[in-house]
Amino acid sequence: MTDLVIVGAGLAGLLAANLAARRGASVTIVAQGRGSLSLSHGCIGLGSLPASDLAPEHPYHRAGKHRLKPAVDFFLEAAHAQGVKYLGTTDSVVRLPTAAGSVLSLHFVPATLAPGDLSHPGRTLVAGIQGFRDFDPSLVAAGLRARGVDAGSAELPHPGPPPTRDWYSTDIAARFERSWSAKEVGRLWRPSLDSAGRLGLPAVLGLTAQDRILSALEEALGITLFEIPTLPPSLPGLRLERALRRAALAAGCRLLEGSAAIGRIDGRSGGARTLGVSAVTPAGPRTVEAGATLLATGGVLNGGWRAERSGRLHESVFDLPIAGPENRQAWIGPSLFDPHPYDRYGLSVNVNMQPCDRDGRPFFPNVFACGGILGGADRRREQNRQGIDIVTAYAAVEAALS
Amino acid sequence: MNYPSATDVLVIGGGATGLGVAWDASLRGLSVVVLEQGDLGQGTSGRYHGLLHSGGRYILSDPTSARECARENLILRRIVPHAIEDTGGLFVSTPADPPEYADEWFAASRREGVAAQEITPSDALRLEPLLTPEAVRVFHVQDAALDSFDLLHALAAAIVAAGGHVLIRHRLERLTPAPDGFLAAVASPSNGSLLHIQARVVVNAAGPFAGRVAQLAGATLPLALGKGTMIAMATRLVNTVVNRLKPPADGDIIVPVGTVAVLGTTDTPVEAPEDVRIEPWEVDLLLYEAAALIPSIQDHRPLRAWAGIRPLYRPPDAGQTETRRLSRAHALIDHAAAGGPPRLVTIIGGKLSTFRRMAEDTVDLVQRHLGSSAPCRTDETPLSPPPRRFHRLPDRLESLGRHAAEPQLGLVCECELVTTEDIRRALDLSPTSDLDDLRRDLRLGMGPCQAAYCAYRSAGHLVRHDHETDAASALAIFLEERWRGVRPLMWGQSLRQFEANRRIYQDLLGMDRP
Repeated sequence: MTDLVIVGAGLAGLLAANLAARRGASVTIVAQGRGSLSLSHGCIGLGSLPASDLAPEHPYHRAGKHRLKPAVDFFLEAAHAQGVKYLGTTDSVVRLPTAAGSVLSLHFVPATLAPGDLSHPGRTLVAGIQGFRDFDPSLVAAGLRARGVDAGSAELPHPGPPPTRDWYSTDIAARFERSWSAKEVGRLWRPSLDSAGRLGLPAVLGLTAQDRILSALEEALGITLFEIPTLPPSLPGLRLERALRRAALAAGCRLLEGSAAIGRIDGRSGGARTLGVSAVTPAGPRTVEAGATLLATGGVLNGGWRAERSGRLHESVFDLPIAGPENRQAWIGPSLFDPHPYDRYGLSVNVNMQPCDRDGRPFFPNVFACGGILGGADRRREQNRQGIDIVTAYAAVEAALS
Repeated sequence: MNYPSATDVLVIGGGATGLGVAWDASLRGLSVVVLEQGDLGQGTSGRYHGLLHSGGRYILSDPTSARECARENLILRRIVPHAIEDTGGLFVSTPADPPEYADEWFAASRREGVAAQEITPSDALRLEPLLTPEAVRVFHVQDAALDSFDLLHALAAAIVAAGGHVLIRHRLERLTPAPDGFLAAVASPSNGSLLHIQARVVVNAAGPFAGRVAQLAGATLPLALGKGTMIAMATRLVNTVVNRLKPPADGDIIVPVGTVAVLGTTDTPVEAPEDVRIEPWEVDLLLYEAAALIPSIQDHRPLRAWAGIRPLYRPPDAGQTETRRLSRAHALIDHAAAGGPPRLVTIIGGKLSTFRRMAEDTVDLVQRHLGSSAPCRTDETPLSPPPRRFHRLPDRLESLGRHAAEPQLGLVCECELVTTEDIRRALDLSPTSDLDDLRRDLRLGMGPCQAAYCAYRSAGHLVRHDHETDAASALAIFLEERWRGVRPLMWGQSLRQFEANRRIYQDLLGMDRP
């Protein structure tokens, strides 16, 4: 028996686990996979729109605007305690270059990315590592120049013996951490650099020791350095996932990995309360009894809800209905980069973060939801995906433990 | 580019028909120019299910076509073996199909010269384990998979090697009768300026666009356009072509093509060649019908859907017949004979499997206009594999096996094994730097992830190849094009994959940001 079972181990689920443990609850996390942080830039966007522009059913309103500050503070502290330092404020944005040469505006960014803030003037040199496919400096520089940024590109020689297969970001990070000396890499790279105010590198400078590696390289190269997230695995996101996971385990949370929650346990006497979840784990089927259940299963990408060819939309663990048209053509928009109607699909919750039916009645008194599974927001357009994860996790834990 | 100012034969349309005509005419000593408004394989020839017909499909409904298919099947195996995978084919009758049809079909197959051999349903299951265990009768035929991209490139290379011209991305703007044939005005892709080509005979092989070409020449051409929708499943579910043994209908075939299996096809009348939008009912119908042959199809992921436009000649007396009932045999129209402009010939309809025969008939007619009579030689002249032939997956695996000890570096597309070297070579050979052209040459981005990684990785090569290229726009256009193919399949795993790609290209890379 655990106080709280959390289904999902992405940003929302892991942050909720940390908070619940901090508040003294016993926590079990049931996680089928790894969330989608490694597909992300690892930064925190709180949104580009004022709260008054968001509909009343928007997750921000459900969670309560007043919780945003304490929720973000808790997040920053939890990440920092595990060596991932974020810079920023809730009311200003950092303008960061992407690996395609676009610019994203985000509120909190890892310290190794922050010097890339394009609000600060000066020539930016973007350099790739020879043979590394998932970061193309010429594409970054071309995109930045098209946006009026003074940018150039360079290719840096591959440190160490030539690889025998194509490397991912994690392969290079592991070498920076274990075998390459920042000093020697700096000596190798220095001749390839022209004069610039700062140097942007692919985000491959280690998985846990990125701050130390970055400053050692900075010293060896004599230039301000910053990282730009690469194609997945994107290390800034992966570092955050690993940090929150370490923190949750350190705080005493139990983690059932590779385990799919497949349904609820009903009480023998009937009644609306659910006694926890049943799960398929690597060790076979089992039940996780809990005082409360928190769905942090993510959106359609993560499998939090499913879309069937028949037109049926449903939440994946408890089979709760997801509102949306039955005509599957109406789920999507005409063009790729348009908003698509399915972006807004998900569970609707009340101010206690309880999933509710169409009339606003909770399905269960002790089931809560947070993060990507919540509907009512167009996170991509509003640029608040991480903000929603953080504040709804915070609100859901407060409600579940009250 | 060195443009010809005069030619014996001007062919409009660079599909299998047009290229086949140009190749045949070249072999008979005529000078040829082919105009293609898009890229090779962008039209109907590239948008088909990949089947080299044994003739089995038409045995009862259209015996002429069946005989022709059977003959051409043997010829193509001889002249383009590199474009053909000899999968063999099965005709499978299920409990839902009229039992007497199988007997009639088998009897007719002997009459029409279509090789067919009955095998037991349990042998068929051993051959194709996913096949329905309820199969009642099964016949083995000489179907095969024919790679139309390979075929088109082989034809184009042969035409050019023989001194002819294949002008891609060149559109016919005007066709003016001249004393000795026609004067054609052609828009060039580089600056849109008009080129003028004097032609003694014009062959209209523009497929669904043939009506428009005829109009330019002042001729009329009544066409019936039928849209055929196909779905590629993400895995190669069968190694043999599987046909449903019943009268031709929607969704009666599954063709193994490379790493995928293609479900074909529907037949819906459309108004215009551009009407290739796929409706949900077509997708549902194809999956429903395929389940009669492969019951587990619902557990497999559809990867892409596309539609091609069948251009069928509607003879003045045909009325409003359903397009499926119009003959699939080709029509050769001498417009002069019908009171139209002299020296304009239209070749329309038919099937990819019979393109060679269509070309033969067409050039016979062309020669009558020109007063020459050289014999057709395409049936005895093998085509060399095209120089731009990067896209066959087994070749790459074999090469990986041969060089197993060497480092394998520069893989851009993991799904289709496209390397940096392939991209450089393709860019050097290609007149354009369009990622979608690279895709047709290399199969770049055609695998299960639909370009999640390779689109980004290859965009940088465009910049390095040509510094003027706007790689970000090229990338956006390519992604939009990939999206069009998955748009009709947005549920389940395809929707999840689409969302993953949006996470990468929009949220992580900010491609949608100003």
